[in-house]
Amino acid sequence: MIHLITGGSGSGKSAYAEEWLMCHKGNDSKFPCLYIATMMPYGAETKKKIERHHRLRAGKGFQTLERYTDLAGLGIPENQGILLECMSNLAANEFYHEDGSMEEVGSTCERILKGVSYLVCKTPCLVIVTNEVNSDINSYSSETEQYRNLIGRLNQKLGQMADRVTEVVYGIPVVIKE
Amino acid sequence: MEMIIGGAYQGKLAYAKEKYPGIAWADGRNCTEEAVWSCGGIHHFHKWIERKMKNGEDVSMLAEQLIRKNPNVVIVTDEIGYGIVPADPFEREYRETTGRICTELAEYAECVFRVVCGIGKAIKES
Repeated sequence: MIHLITGGSGSGKSAYAEEWLMCHKGNDSKFPCLYIATMMPYGAETKKKIERHHRLRAGKGFQTLERYTDLAGLGIPENQGILLECMSNLAANEFYHEDGSMEEVGSTCERILKGVSYLVCKTPCLVIVTNEVNSDINSYSSETEQYRNLIGRLNQKLGQMADRVTEVVYGIPVVIKE
Repeated sequence: MEMIIGGAYQGKLAYAKEKYPGIAWADGRNCTEEAVWSCGGIHHFHKWIERKMKNGEDVSMLAEQLIRKNPNVVIVTDEIGYGIVPADPFEREYRETTGRICTELAEYAECVFRVVCGIGKAIKES
């Protein structure tokens, strides 16, 4: 089962994703739910965000794994459920190099999807949090436009793969696919 | 008239082409005015509005004109009004005008589908 959760910034996607996973995770494995965090802690603002997410998850029984790129290279045991958060950070990490240069959109998309397929093999219940960033006026630099293209493509492919798709609007889950 | 709306890169056109196979499409980025009035469907509709506004044309009657001249057209258009108000005055006007035109067209349209992550959902049905 794959559940893709999208929505705008600060819409309550994470809280909804955590709750949903706790209600729907498998029981077969002794291994607890994994939380794969993709946000790189590169400054005070991101550290604050990460701490907020830590607090949100505290006591819910997740094991946190920080992984910024290359999901397919993760060695993880079979587990009850995985929460991957979030796709927009993972996409940026895979797409941009430190020197500001970029990967190619198509191959980056393929690489990320391969990583997602690896997770699917390891869990009966995968929840992916992504982000809606493309409902804005589109007059961005070509670099940003390519990133928008990448996240759009990923979201379409993930929407196809997913059994459920939910858009969270101010904490309200709106069913897109079930 | 039917509309397919949603953010950029959501798979709106692919969704529309599957839904309406075989209709002739005009591309709002480069089609002629004639094509807009005669096509089966127009995609990048917002870009057509932008082109006209950049040419200094009056677009205040655009929705009405389209309803009169091509009442059965399928319109595929980006939603562009969700972000921060742009600093550039032209972009501000273009963004709002597009919203107003699409609101008018959606009122007339029998069906409006919104595409999220490649999945279309009717938000208005006849």
